[in-house]
Amino acid sequence: MKPNRKWLLLFLGLVIVLIVDFPIITVILNSFRTTETIVSSHSILPTEPTLANYLFINTRTHFWTFLLNSMIVAFTSSALAIVLAALAGFAMSRYRARILGGYNQALLIVQMFPLILAIIPLFIFFRNLDMVNNFIPVIMVYTVTQLPFATWMLRSYFDSIPRELDEAATVDGCSPLRAFVQIILPLTVPGLVAVAIFSFLFSYNEFFISSVFLRDENRMTMPVGIQSFMQQYSTDWGSLMASATLGMVPTLILFFCIQKYMVAGATAGAVKG
Amino acid sequence: MPLKVDLRSRAASPAVTQTINQPFRPLPYVLLLASLAFIFIIEFYPFINGVSFSFHKGSLLSTGAFVGLGNYLRLFNSPSFYNSLWFSFIFAFFNVLVSYVLGLALALFLDPDFPGRGFCRVALLVPWIVPAVVSIVSWKWLIADKGGLVNVILGSFGAGPIYFLSQSGWAMVAVIVIKIWRSFPFMMLSLLAALQVIDKTYYEAARIDGANRWQMFWRITLPHIKNISIIQAILMIIWSINDFETPFLLTQGGPSNATENLILLSYRYTFGRNDVGLGSAVAILTLILLMVLSTIMMRQQAKSA
Repeated sequence: MKPNRKWLLLFLGLVIVLIVDFPIITVILNSFRTTETIVSSHSILPTEPTLANYLFINTRTHFWTFLLNSMIVAFTSSALAIVLAALAGFAMSRYRARILGGYNQALLIVQMFPLILAIIPLFIFFRNLDMVNNFIPVIMVYTVTQLPFATWMLRSYFDSIPRELDEAATVDGCSPLRAFVQIILPLTVPGLVAVAIFSFLFSYNEFFISSVFLRDENRMTMPVGIQSFMQQYSTDWGSLMASATLGMVPTLILFFCIQKYMVAGATAGAVKG
Repeated sequence: MPLKVDLRSRAASPAVTQTINQPFRPLPYVLLLASLAFIFIIEFYPFINGVSFSFHKGSLLSTGAFVGLGNYLRLFNSPSFYNSLWFSFIFAFFNVLVSYVLGLALALFLDPDFPGRGFCRVALLVPWIVPAVVSIVSWKWLIADKGGLVNVILGSFGAGPIYFLSQSGWAMVAVIVIKIWRSFPFMMLSLLAALQVIDKTYYEAARIDGANRWQMFWRITLPHIKNISIIQAILMIIWSINDFETPFLLTQGGPSNATENLILLSYRYTFGRNDVGLGSAVAILTLILLMVLSTIMMRQQAKSA
């Protein structure tokens, strides 16, 4: 490739990135401007950057509670999903049994299942148990929604570990489960971490399920909290932008940690099944 | 894809024939136990309940009389249902179509090596990865009636303002455009993955035979990404139909239900009107629609394997 062409491609790439990410860039820039300047000024750049919006969020809202709630829900559900998916993925990778084919079909159905159908009965069910505004139903639903993806991903990681390794251990008198825990799992730690972070991101970003179950301000997750800001302060763009900016910080950090696993993740749902 | 090769080679490997011939082994069943319990509680049990709700009158507080297919008949006579079916359809259609074209164009752009390619690839995934609520906050400002950037720009040309969220047609456009913006990176990513495993020697051979770029695209690139394209497209149709967040956060289904898809309709009947029977019936019909689409997908997958 001619050197000129290379730089042209880079330039073109940066222009495309700027256009595509423009809405996100404006959120970050606007979070440093007061609502009056956001609405009145015709420039996009903050000419007099201010932290007023962040101070407002810090002192006058429950933002940190929302963030903490999101962390609790996302962490617990991704931890649960990874354990369940590792066990099931191991079974699918190393065994042949009729139930495994059936289980794979079940995962496909879970992946396409319209959540509203589950949410209606679950809401009634958990309300009768007095568990609205409780994290447990939300965590359980998140865990299940992540199972298909996490199981297929982990299964393909386990598939990439030669069977001879755990077979040798079994021949030496090690139980299959112990061979899995002590030999296969340690070899797939990077994959496990990537899948766990994917799951975490999903739960952290999710709005629908949380909004149905978590209605009390002290129990809301970050997306539900920001949506409640949207209703309360619908014209206070400054605070909205600041809460949106803070809300996506964890997402962006984790995303940059696992971006190299993204390609495998994007095709897992499609290739398996 | 390498994963698929694994699947088939394992079925034929001698180790597997051994396990088949062995007596019953409880371990695979034990390993699935916990996952199955979760799926049972969170999806299977509610599904059975949902089917039952859809045949009964009922509110969130109590289930009422059995009405047979009454709820379904009410839906088939209600304009709201056809309206949301229609919106679900065009929402999914345009989302898949435009996301595919954009995704493919960008995947082709990012396939050859150039400085900064890694950065561009990651940066273009950002709309897909940020929380829905964050993207909606940003877009809501961009298209706001007063002071929104789009209308400020239109105003400087003497045009507008366009009331994006209070006119039915524009609200539909806004919801669909934002959904496309949130979905095309995923399409780009999967197509890029497919492009990168195409053996480059095909292109060299074609070049020696005097093929031009266009011919190479039609005869080499497209056939190689055909399967993944079909599968990802169907997956994206399913996700579009299941999408609650984009329309709900942007317009809550309004104005006058113009952007209400099937999921929002079911939500409104259930939690807004407290009519669990009708809400469940909408959800069941959505499930049936999705089952049909998934069956097509699985057929396609079986064919491509």
